[in-house]
Parts: sequence; structure tokens; C-alpha cells
Amino acid sequence: MRLTTILVAAAAALNAGGAWAQASQGRELFIRPDKGNCIACHQVPEGSGPAVRSDVGPRLDAARLKGWDRERLRGLLEDPMRANPGTVMPPYGRHRLLESREIERVIDYLHALP
Amino acid sequence: MRFLDRPRAAAVLLALSLPLQAADGAEAVRNDIVSSMRARFPSLAPADYVAGSAAFDPVRQSEAAANRPAPGAAEAIEAGRRLWTTKFANGRSLAGCFPNGGRRIAAAYPQYDRRVKRLVSLETAINQCLKTHGQPLLEAGDPATMGAVLAYLRSLSDGQKIAVRTGSAPAEERFEEGRRIYFARMGQQNYSCASCHVDHAGNYFGDNAIPAPLGSAAAWPFIREGRPVTMQMRIRECLDRMGAAPFPAGSDELAHLEYFLAYLSNGIAIRPNAWRPR
Repeated sequence: MRLTTILVAAAAALNAGGAWAQASQGRELFIRPDKGNCIACHQVPEGSGPAVRSDVGPRLDAARLKGWDRERLRGLLEDPMRANPGTVMPPYGRHRLLESREIERVIDYLHALP
Repeated sequence: MRFLDRPRAAAVLLALSLPLQAADGAEAVRNDIVSSMRARFPSLAPADYVAGSAAFDPVRQSEAAANRPAPGAAEAIEAGRRLWTTKFANGRSLAGCFPNGGRRIAAAYPQYDRRVKRLVSLETAINQCLKTHGQPLLEAGDPATMGAVLAYLRSLSDGQKIAVRTGSAPAEERFEEGRRIYFARMGQQNYSCASCHVDHAGNYFGDNAIPAPLGSAAAWPFIREGRPVTMQMRIRECLDRMGAAPFPAGSDELAHLEYFLAYLSNGIAIRPNAWRPR
């Protein structure tokens, strides 16, 4: 019983650590000018990314992203023009700015925003 | 031009193959954009836009004031003056190719030349003069030579109001081509020039307020890190950031874009060689 508890706790910690690592990778992709460079258009909460004055797109936080599940975010990042032909947001997937696995890491980061 | 990768090449080809929209004429296009800017930024006069980002950003305004005159501007202008006045082997000079030695001419460029059926930018006119006199041409993208010459030449028109004309069907077609390229999405980022500079003028891209299209043709060259940057050089930088292969320096496409932007700035006084940040 005691061993089981320890194993469950260890698995949870590993899982949390993995989620943190994935969100951390997503944060880097969100910021890097040669990758997502999302930070050039969107602000994020203090402590979640660099403090910038960007306001081409909306500020992104948990409240703003409510209802944006993985599938919906994936579709947006793949090609935002499908939903909004006039958008200035780059088609990260369609134009191969980000690979599929990188889009997943950005989603991890967005879902971890407070 | 550097090698195009597949997505970039496809995006550029797509942009260049878009059909021409019905042209309303240069003056109607200009009036639309001026009216749009006036409605969105009622406190700004057309001349205010010459400051670029600083038109929207008090922090940048302070930095610009602290860098007036721009570090390196005097040196660039002097280097340009020397190139402008140096005698060729035949005793002529660049200055001799232009009316009044080049004073007060810049406001009318680019202009459509009916004889050669092309737009003539200042870069084109300078190189045509050199060619006529058997001199090596200047590289349109080189700040040390063409940039310096233009820093000097446009300083001779400081305060002159831009007065670019269309006035013929072929000239209107060149303006329309510049407008079409300006509004065409290009490159991996899938932006058009207008996506940022018209739709999001005044918004912050990172920590930089996005300049409006008005006034941009009055501000060049600007001085960045001591070097003159012409409008065509700046457009090429922008295209590169968009993930598009930049049009070659001195190309017709850049001349068309410059013609479009210069026409939008008609009536705004030329203020060259001001400081800009990296």
C-alpha cells in the first residue's frame, strides 16, 4: 500500500514535470523570432513571458482562452484564415512555420497560461 | 536574388499572379487611405506620420529628439556630396546630370518616363547618368555609395513637399501595380505590407509602433546605426521579415512600391536623414 502510494506520487510528479517541460518548450516557440514569434503580437500574463507592448492581437490568458480546447487551437494555429480570411495571423502549419509537434507544444503553453 | 525555398517561392508567385482589382485611380486610392488614417488618428496631421513609429509612441519621440541630428548623418551626407561632385574622366559629374545640380528635384520622384516606358526612381536616374558617362553603376542596396548619394541628394530637397504625379494611363498603371503589390499577401508569414501598415498602423509589433503608409516616402533615407537606409532598402528588409524573397535592389517592383507610397505622401515635406533605431 505504501509502495503503491509512492509510485502513484512519483508518476504524478513525472507527469507534471513532463507537462511543465512541454509548456516550457511551447513558451520558447511562442517567443522565438524564427519560430512562432507570437509575442510580437500578443501579450501574456506577467511571469509567463517577456513584458512587451504588443497589441496587434489580443492579450492571451486563461480567461481569453476559455473554450479553446486543443482541437480548436490546433485548427487556428494550422491556418487561421479558415475561420477568418482577413486575419493577419500567420498560417503556422500550412506555411510550415511550425511543425505539428511544435504546434502541440505551443498549445501546451497556451493551456498553462494563468 | 537568393534561392527561393518552395513555400516562399509559391507565396511570391501567388502574390504576383493575383488579378488586378478595378482601379479607382491614384487620387481616389490616396483619398481613401488618408481619410481612413484621419478617422482613426484624428489628432495626427499628415506631416506627423513622417516620424514613423514615433508618430504613435511618446517613448520613441523622446529617443528621436535625443538623437537629433542623427549620429552619422553628417558623415553620410558629406560622403554623398563627394560622390555627387566628383568629376568623371570626361569632366562631368553626377551633379551635372540634374537640373540645379540636384537641388529641389527629389520631390518629383519616382516619375514615369514616357520615352523608356518605365518608372524612374532617383536610383535609376543616378545610374543612368553614370552609364551615360561610362562610369561603374552604384549598387542600389549599398548604404555606403547609393545610400550616401541619396542622403546628400535628398538633403538638397529638405522641406520640399512631395509632388509625385501620375497624369497618364501608363503612369496610373504603375501606381496600380504598386498598390497591388502593397496589398498582396506574400511570404511564409502571409502578411501584405498593408496588413501591418494600413490595418494595424499604430499598433505595437513587439515594442515598435507600426508606422502608417503616409509620410514614409518623405522620411527616407533615415539613419540607422550611422548608415543611410533608403526606402527600397527598408522595403527589402520588410519583405525578408515577412518570409518573402525580397525583390532585387533597383527592380521595377520596388520602384512601383515606392511610386505608390510616394503618391500617398503628396503634399508632405521631405525630412531626410533622421535617426531610426535598430
